[in-house]
Amino acid sequence: MNAARTGKSRGLSRLLQVPSFGARMMLPALVLLAALSIFPFLFIVWMSFNEVSPIGGLSFEWVGLENWVNLFTDPDVRSSWVTSAIYFVATVGIEMILGIAVALLVHEIVWGKNLALSLFLMPMFIAPVMVGLLGRFMVDPTYGLYAWALNTTGIFTKNILGSGESALVAVILMDVWEWTPLITIIVLAGLSSMPEEVLEAARVDGANYWQRLRNIVMPLISGVVIVALLVRSMDAIRFFDIIFVTTNGGPADATKIIPIRLYETAFRFFELGYAAAIGLGMLAFSIVIANLFLRILKAQGLAR
Amino acid sequence: MTASGWSRQLPLYALLALVLLWTLVPIAWMVLSSFKSPDDILSTTPKVIFEPTLQHYQGLFIGSNSLVGYVKNSLLAAGISTIISVALACLAGYGLARSHFRGKQHLSFWIISTRMAPIAAVIVPLYLIFRNLDLLDSVIGLIIAYLTFNLPFAIWLMNAFFADLPPSLEEAALVDGATRFQAFWRVALPLVTPGIVTTAVLCLIFAWNDYAFARTFSGPESQTIPIAASQLITQTGIDWGKLTAIGTVVVLPMVVVGLAVRRWLVRGLTLGAVKGE
Repeated sequence: MNAARTGKSRGLSRLLQVPSFGARMMLPALVLLAALSIFPFLFIVWMSFNEVSPIGGLSFEWVGLENWVNLFTDPDVRSSWVTSAIYFVATVGIEMILGIAVALLVHEIVWGKNLALSLFLMPMFIAPVMVGLLGRFMVDPTYGLYAWALNTTGIFTKNILGSGESALVAVILMDVWEWTPLITIIVLAGLSSMPEEVLEAARVDGANYWQRLRNIVMPLISGVVIVALLVRSMDAIRFFDIIFVTTNGGPADATKIIPIRLYETAFRFFELGYAAAIGLGMLAFSIVIANLFLRILKAQGLAR
Repeated sequence: MTASGWSRQLPLYALLALVLLWTLVPIAWMVLSSFKSPDDILSTTPKVIFEPTLQHYQGLFIGSNSLVGYVKNSLLAAGISTIISVALACLAGYGLARSHFRGKQHLSFWIISTRMAPIAAVIVPLYLIFRNLDLLDSVIGLIIAYLTFNLPFAIWLMNAFFADLPPSLEEAALVDGATRFQAFWRVALPLVTPGIVTTAVLCLIFAWNDYAFARTFSGPESQTIPIAASQLITQTGIDWGKLTAIGTVVVLPMVVVGLAVRRWLVRGLTLGAVKGE
């Protein structure tokens, strides 16, 4: 095998790597991707310096930095950033903790592992908008199963989506319900690729489960856990469907995360220029996370 | 299994039962409710035993409020955006995996950050562009919108799958006189079939499940099923029977295809970063 890897084969592999062939293969996709991403990007940047109104024919009016000044001074937008931060930390945090816990649990059981996992994964494939609508059905004050259960046990007797704090908790839990499985399957992949000998050696040395978990398992799966965290974070910023169809930001702005605020600014108040500035603020945030993701891949030797 | 083994496993199964209860109760309740008559749904104490009825499902496919148009739009928008994404991504992913050039890192970064752009931020410029190009309320507009996230996703993922293949097989084909494209088409492509299927399934799920784009861009001619579901929420009340029936119809196919590619799911959902079980 090694002999074959010399001279001739290396030359051929260089031949395979001649950019012109690769470039020709990439061209159609990259041209389309450029049209789909660079053009809208330049457009949204330009919009952010204009007052754009779609009512009665499109109108653009150059306003310089006004939208950008608003972005940093508008108390409503600032409170939405805070709500977003709370929502983001709570959903992703709970999903990470629960997801890892369920992965450790499923990894330990011997019988019915596949079935249990398949059932547990189901929410992940459900459209977020359906998760929101279904959540609304479950907590409906008159007909909802969960509302009824909380009511008869006396745990919570008010309208769940009717008051700020319980509404925020409810939409967070809907997101947790849907996305915890994502963390679980990623972490589980890390768990099943651990070298069995190391764990066996620790067991022989008398380390108990928690000692093994802390000193061996966690360090071994840390890379996978970070990938799970970043993948989930990217999507947590992207989607807003669940809140869109449950509370739509209410009651009294308690669940008004940034994308909901942006959507309302653009399509209810028709301040598209300002919405563009808010959108670029979000984009900056997601680019930071994309950058971290690439660095992790590179550090693990996975970026190619 | 030994007695001590069972005593250790039993608490684990109790925990697992709790976890599955949390996961399955809403889904079971949705499916169950879709077979209930309106009176049973509106009962103030939840009914587990009831006389099943198909009336909500019949309402979905027969009569003036039929969903057929919505289903067609969903299938067209999700299907065509998936086909375009996967086809172009097979070429580009291979080209990317087999070439090394300066700035490749930047190209990767551009692709991944396009995939991760927040939907709310993408909607704003697209809305104006579509308005000017007369693409609002058209399935073509939705296909373009879905390509904004599915195309970069597919390129990235196919690149990861191709990069796993050792180039030696294609080299052998080249020695036998194949052109580079033939080496790709006849040798590399068939070997990444699981990757292609996984990429296609995930693209299909992402597009099928979209709500925000469809709500903003579509009109009477192009509405998709998630829009049909959300339209049942009106000022005068919510038709939960019909809603749970639509929910069941929207959800089931995606759960089935999603679970069908479970082996490669981790690979796909981590954009190639983690190999599966």
